[in-house]
Amino acid sequence: MSNPVVEVRGASRVYTEDAVPVHALRDVDLTVQRGEFVSLAGPSGSGKSTLLNVIGGLDRPTSGTVSIDGVCLNDLNDTELADLRLHKIGFVFQSYNLIPVLSARENVEFIMQLQGVGAAERAQRAADILQSLGLETMGDRRPGELSGGQQQRVAVARAIVTEPALLLADEPSANLDSTTTGELLDLLRVLNETRGVTIVAATHDPMVMSYAKRRITLRDGRIENDSTG
Amino acid sequence: MSFALLMRLSLRNILRHRRRNAMLLAAIVVAVGGVTFMNSFIRGFQQDLRDSAVNNLTGHIKVFAPGYRDDPGIERSFYVAGDWRPDVSSGLLEGWAARIRIPAVIMSERETRGVQLVGVDPSQEGISFLGDAFYEGETLADENDKRIFVGQALVDQLDTKVGRRLVIITQGADGRNREAGFRIAGVYDAEGTGLEKAFVFTGRAALQKMLDTREVTEVSIRLTNDGAGSSVRSMLLSYFSGLEVMGWRELEPQIAAMFVFADTAIFIWFAIMMGALVFGLVNSLITAVMERVKEFGMLRAVGMRPGSVIVQVVIESSLLMMSGVALGLVVGWLLCQWMSEGLDLSQWASGVEMVGMRSVVVPRLYGADMMLVAGLSLVLGIVASLYPAWRAVKIKPLEAMRR
Repeated sequence: MSNPVVEVRGASRVYTEDAVPVHALRDVDLTVQRGEFVSLAGPSGSGKSTLLNVIGGLDRPTSGTVSIDGVCLNDLNDTELADLRLHKIGFVFQSYNLIPVLSARENVEFIMQLQGVGAAERAQRAADILQSLGLETMGDRRPGELSGGQQQRVAVARAIVTEPALLLADEPSANLDSTTTGELLDLLRVLNETRGVTIVAATHDPMVMSYAKRRITLRDGRIENDSTG
Repeated sequence: MSFALLMRLSLRNILRHRRRNAMLLAAIVVAVGGVTFMNSFIRGFQQDLRDSAVNNLTGHIKVFAPGYRDDPGIERSFYVAGDWRPDVSSGLLEGWAARIRIPAVIMSERETRGVQLVGVDPSQEGISFLGDAFYEGETLADENDKRIFVGQALVDQLDTKVGRRLVIITQGADGRNREAGFRIAGVYDAEGTGLEKAFVFTGRAALQKMLDTREVTEVSIRLTNDGAGSSVRSMLLSYFSGLEVMGWRELEPQIAAMFVFADTAIFIWFAIMMGALVFGLVNSLITAVMERVKEFGMLRAVGMRPGSVIVQVVIESSLLMMSGVALGLVVGWLLCQWMSEGLDLSQWASGVEMVGMRSVVVPRLYGADMMLVAGLSLVLGIVASLYPAWRAVKIKPLEAMRR
């Protein structure tokens, strides 16, 4: 039975740079089913980050529609988009983007606090996720006191602790060495296979692509290849 | 969104840039402390003005015959029964005095001067500057005392001293001149207020006898509360039908105008100091916001509402402002304590004498003024943070994260 988390229909995104239109996306159609692990690959400027941002409601398509878990993003204002991102989407960014003034534990609890989860439940879920990611001793450290790999694991913990419908990762391995990248991808695979987290990752990294069950390649703003297996 | 979370974020962001925020805090403390201290001096000046006006034989309210203010003389007098007293509740009435006040010429062996000769009952003069004036020699014993009580500056001008006789010429109730010799009982010191040259006092009954009258030229009322003036005035108007009843603001319009100006000066001073501070605050907050554009973009990307970002910036500004205001008020209070003996303006004594003030201004710190400074400062802090906060949410999350 079809159970799409992401539905992109005829999405185009045109930027204007120095009065010259740049077509970052051209009439893209994409459906991602619940529980899929999808990689978006392609050369720089192919549109993979733009597609990821459009799916995450951080950017709006110039034309076409985007729906997340059945909600059409085109109809939402900035505040409604913020609420949708808060409740349905987890983000893992290339440069971690943790909150520097909060500890690892507080960073993990942050999204739950925005959602209004109670203090006791928040603390328990944060402790559980940090333990499952091998970060139980790092909870009180601030991002500046953690290695790149540890920060990225905290970012993943923050993104998945609320069990979002969709996890979006933008170049998640860009600042990591191969060992740490392997650990991160093992973690994402476990989350995908055991918890059924739907993952869409934009990447240049063949290692990330090898972990994804479905690999989409973009070129010049169009889907060039979409393969599973 | 949890207010506690926003508070925690704001507080930690303030502590994150300790040096910059410490400088900003110091600027707020100096501005608020300075405003508080200056306000206390302006209030002291204002209080002194009012005291001078009221002490200067005027009282809060005065009764006199029509035309007396333009042409003061014994022919513009009125009768006050011996057993009369103001029908005012004892809690409101500080005291009252009935006087004869007429122009006169006073002569020593060497000099002649024009003065105001005032017949008083010394037991009633606790309400005027006579009540607590420093003096040499003796004060007047009672209203029948035939001696005179003269200011130090006049004694210097007339080149005389306590115990000597002076001749006074004035007009009697029948329109004919009266001339009599008076011995100086004492010399008063009105602390350089300029009153010393103007007023010569003698016993009221003694003066009435010399002028051949039973009347007085003025009744002066002093209240415990300036605000009760209107009801007392109505009562006096009803009793002294046909006479003029005026408050000190009408009788001393220059001082009243300066009194009002002092209120304005407080606001002008506040506006200048806090206006300059607000520019610094806005500048500092814009810097703080622009440094964290990427962070704000990330916060919004993961689901923080634009309104919450604005609240966070406003809280940061408000926390800084509240801390600065609290410390600034303490600094202002400490400065007032340090200057509690007052600021000596004797170098400009002739200037302050002109308005009848004492040469030492004592700062007066009022709770209402402190509350006003605190309240307006906090409002300014919030207003100052709105533009930087708006800048923080104007940039789209994606654009912000790319910076």
